[in-house]
Amino acid sequence: MLEFCLHVLIMSAIFGIAAVSLNLQAGTGGLLNFGQIALFGIGAYAVAILTRAGLPWPAALPAGMAAAALGGFAIGRLGRDLAAEYWALATLAVAELVRLVALNEDWLTGGPQGIGGIVGLFPGLDGVARALATLALAALLLLGTALMARRLGQTQFGRVLRLMRENPDLATALGHDIVACKVKVLAIGGAMAGLAGGLYTLYLAFIGPDQLLPFETFLIWTMVVLGGLGNVAGAVVGAMLVTTLYAGIPFLKDAVALPSDLTGSLRVFAIGSIVLAVLMLKPQGLVPERLRRLHAQRP
Amino acid sequence: MLSAHDVTRSFGGLTAVNHVSLEIGPREIVGLVGPNGSGKTTLLNLLSGFLAPTSGEIRFDGTTVSARRAWQPSRLGLRRSFQLPKLPARMSVLEVMLAGGRLPAGASPWRSLLTPGAVRREEAAFIGKAMGLLAEVDLAGLADHPAGGLSGGQQKLLGLAAVLMDDPAVLLLDEPTAGVNPSLRRRMADHLRRIREGGTALVIVEHDMGFIGDLCDRCLALDKGAVIANCRPDELSGNQQVVEAYLGRRRPGVPLRIVAGGTVGGTVDIRTNGARA
Repeated sequence: MLEFCLHVLIMSAIFGIAAVSLNLQAGTGGLLNFGQIALFGIGAYAVAILTRAGLPWPAALPAGMAAAALGGFAIGRLGRDLAAEYWALATLAVAELVRLVALNEDWLTGGPQGIGGIVGLFPGLDGVARALATLALAALLLLGTALMARRLGQTQFGRVLRLMRENPDLATALGHDIVACKVKVLAIGGAMAGLAGGLYTLYLAFIGPDQLLPFETFLIWTMVVLGGLGNVAGAVVGAMLVTTLYAGIPFLKDAVALPSDLTGSLRVFAIGSIVLAVLMLKPQGLVPERLRRLHAQRP
Repeated sequence: MLSAHDVTRSFGGLTAVNHVSLEIGPREIVGLVGPNGSGKTTLLNLLSGFLAPTSGEIRFDGTTVSARRAWQPSRLGLRRSFQLPKLPARMSVLEVMLAGGRLPAGASPWRSLLTPGAVRREEAAFIGKAMGLLAEVDLAGLADHPAGGLSGGQQKLLGLAAVLMDDPAVLLLDEPTAGVNPSLRRRMADHLRRIREGGTALVIVEHDMGFIGDLCDRCLALDKGAVIANCRPDELSGNQQVVEAYLGRRRPGVPLRIVAGGTVGGTVDIRTNGARA
């Protein structure tokens, strides 16, 4: 049971980073990135390939972040002239492309079998000690990511992103190059998502194309929508709740004697229900975006 | 400062702006008048780089205004306001003001993270400037309120104040007084005059002839996308083409219905039936 709890917490922290990243792009910048899992996947595969080649993880992880940042930059440049909705569709297509490349380029990605047997984090430790060390690392990186995202949301950078979200023409009229802002936030979000993907690979010692299905993107979206778009703390809370639920559902089958092939569908059903319930009952999420009161702050 | 050279803009078969050339000098206040659909807003969009001309060229301060980089004129000192500002509901009034300023440290993600001191100093300076401008439009007390929650008139005033955060050389205003109450309207005229004294040229699209006559050095009247008059505001009412554009061609035997009232600054207030939608 302790090991299960640690597992859920580690996964919460990892997906928390991915959710904070999506929240910066979609919550603050209003960018409907439906290809978040591609950025996660680029980081995950980069770390897998590099550690397989013998690179230690402290070097592979930043490299994976850089690769995913480049991916974010590319997605931003790609659709720079597209309207928001069409760009959202394009991101979904890009994510599927990334998954198909991972599925088919056996020489690089191991094809459908993925890349396994990765030397994970803290190979010197065992069992609970290893899980605790992994949790500490993941939690620390989540904290760092969340603080960074919060800071970026508070300064002029975030202010321009929010103005871009609500009225791009006004942002342009005030002299802000919204394409450049979009590319910047996608590169930053990409690096964060790549960090989450890299951690994921290192923790599970495995990455495969099935981890990059579009459903994973919607899972991250569910976390952000449940927590509250535009609020960093909300993204972390949403990631914890969704991850716990997702991991907890298999236990339900023991409790209520459900056939085991139902748990997969039940998970999808639960995620869908959450999204619907939030959108109908509390569209601003559990921790809504707050208005920044700059004037009152002054001494 | 700002000039248009034989600019035309068509939307499909409709020519909204038709071979317009104009020149705005430093510290000039120019009114852009004409009936609805005469191409005023399209011309403003062209001048500000929000629309690309079908043919012709717009130049500002020695550079060509290009719609491919619509943000650039604003940074060079050519700024515009919107007829309906549609301000964000989840940003405060003060935040919208700061977004109108140029805060290079805070706008850079790296410097936001690595040089908090510079970001804080920069922000403090701009908050001071923003509060000063907000006081001039009676919005200082609402600094921490959601910008999108303001009334239509207040949103216009905030839109104008935000544009002033960067001390533009030329300001293009799209109906600044529509929805603003008369006493504030007078103060706005005073405010715009002060902005001009600070070295800014103004181009104002406006239906309120009193406001135009009170404020403008010169008027450009548009009809069906073409400039039909370029004269002092008080000469407008004597211009046959302008009167016809507003009221239609005079039929023999039917008296002209011009209400000569509200003579502000010696001009005749032309009020037309339905011309102010």
